[in-house]
Amino acid sequence: MNDTIALSEDQRDALQELMNISMGQAANSLAHLIETKIGISIPKITAVTPDGLYELVSHHQQAYYTRQSFMGDIHGEVMSILTQHGLTEVAELLEYEQPLSENDINETILELSNILAGACLAGLSEQLELATNLQMPTLFAPQKSDFSQYDWQHSLVMEVKFDIQISSFTMRVVFCLDDASLTRLKSTIDELLG
Amino acid sequence: MNNPLLDKLPVGICLVNEAYEIVYLNAFFLDRMPVELRGDALGKPLADVFPEQIKFLKRRIKSVFVLKHPSFSYWEQRPHIFPFKSSRPITGEETQMVQNMEIVPHKDTETGEQYACILIQDVTAQASYFKAQAQLAEELKAEHEAQRKLIRKLDRAQSQLIQAEKMASTGQLAAGIAHEINNPMGFVTANLNTLEQYAQNLLETCQATKKLVASHAPEHIEALEDLFDATHVELIEEDMGPLIQESKDGLKRVSEIVSTLRSFAEEPQHTWGYLNLHDTANQLVQLISTQFKRPRFKVTCEPDQLKWYCESASLKQALTNLMMNAAQSIDENGLVMLDIKQTSSGGVAIKIVDTGCGISEANLKRVFEPFFTTRPEGKGQGLGLSVAYSAIEKHKGKLAINSREGKGTVIEVRLPVLKEQEEEKSASNPSTESL
Repeated sequence: MNDTIALSEDQRDALQELMNISMGQAANSLAHLIETKIGISIPKITAVTPDGLYELVSHHQQAYYTRQSFMGDIHGEVMSILTQHGLTEVAELLEYEQPLSENDINETILELSNILAGACLAGLSEQLELATNLQMPTLFAPQKSDFSQYDWQHSLVMEVKFDIQISSFTMRVVFCLDDASLTRLKSTIDELLG
Repeated sequence: MNNPLLDKLPVGICLVNEAYEIVYLNAFFLDRMPVELRGDALGKPLADVFPEQIKFLKRRIKSVFVLKHPSFSYWEQRPHIFPFKSSRPITGEETQMVQNMEIVPHKDTETGEQYACILIQDVTAQASYFKAQAQLAEELKAEHEAQRKLIRKLDRAQSQLIQAEKMASTGQLAAGIAHEINNPMGFVTANLNTLEQYAQNLLETCQATKKLVASHAPEHIEALEDLFDATHVELIEEDMGPLIQESKDGLKRVSEIVSTLRSFAEEPQHTWGYLNLHDTANQLVQLISTQFKRPRFKVTCEPDQLKWYCESASLKQALTNLMMNAAQSIDENGLVMLDIKQTSSGGVAIKIVDTGCGISEANLKRVFEPFFTTRPEGKGQGLGLSVAYSAIEKHKGKLAINSREGKGTVIEVRLPVLKEQEEEKSASNPSTESL
């Protein structure tokens, strides 16, 4: 593993805790908005290569993908993987009328990604006192992208899974940070750890 | 909020408070609103000004107030959120503005009040460019597909040409061989006739000698008879006639085959004229039966000696291919029938019936495809039927095939009457249909 990526155990624990809190806030916000219960998994923090990232995001056959970049003090991209199953129920919670058109489905996917990714990022930034700015999400097809062409070797990935309990819908949010942001993140965590 | 700079921005700004009332509109936003809404929009509930969009807007604004982070809407999913006119009323193709929307939370630092700030971006130009690109891609795809079809057709035409070329050179080869065989055949036949005469003379000499000895030197007759016995003269006498007759028959057959081959192969290519279908059928059967011994062949033609205006080379080729297939389909005993009949409409119906192995339903759909064959590799090119098909098309005819696996196959060729002018027409536009 690349040295710039390696987090010490303390750093990793701290980051995991921070993620946990911000994810919890995100889940709460969404639950509040759509008035339903939402479960979250314990965040996983790993370092990946482009191939590893591809493995991570593309092993779901029946899934929708979005990506969204964020800028500010830290810089990176959020990828969301949404199961196709259960999306109709979630769209209904978001007050879309049945039957869903293709545009409705795409809008639901983008909206959900934006809400969850946005909430996660907002929570994390707030706790780390970093300013971030989320850009517009877009639909993404990992199958059509060539991950091996990416010009980075390692990336820190924070992954969390949300379950919306009234349907079997799940969604995973994967945060990827570039090297410079990682250095910034580590120093910020170190400050917090004192 | 009333910063004049905001009126210079190329982005529409609409500020909404927590009661969903409009509290600010910048110039970009105002200028694009329908005239009747402009005057008194400020301070009004959003629902009154934009009643059609309110459901969607409220949902998004609510999410911004609750989550405190931006909400986005992309033109591809929702192109016209606000009823704004296109920025190009004169030269633009779109009449309505295509919009990207972003709603961001805004907190007044002095009062602490929460606002949702709706930002509208005019992406009409990008969207129409994008749509044009997408349409272009569609067109390219369609063109690509059309070209692929054309290439397939060209491939087919090419393979047929190759086949025709091959047949032509095979024909030339056959004619050459026939000529070469004819020469030795000439002297072998002549010599055999002479030999027959000589042998006859020798036998007669033997008989005469026997008579002479019997009458003039009877004491030697026994010795002579012993000599004749030792050289089997009696047997030779008996056997000679049939042996020579058999050889003559053989030679006759060889010369018949050679002349059929010549008359069949030496036909100049692509000439239209009258062809005796009856003779052709007989010649064809004669040729094929030398190659395929198992099936019985039967030719019928009505009326007798029917002559037909056609391009003889290609029609013969077609019939050859069809007959070869029929003959090849028979493993053991079987019958191949070639039936030619003039129809009441003046056209001709040629039926080729065999009692061979037949064609399965799945294969039947594909028999006219070039290179489709069920024979093992190297045994057939799978071009026979497609060549026959295009030859018959050239004669504006129809080819129908009917088959039952294990029972046999019936192929029916129907040719309409072609007069000389029509032939010119079809020749000037030769087989574009089949291409």
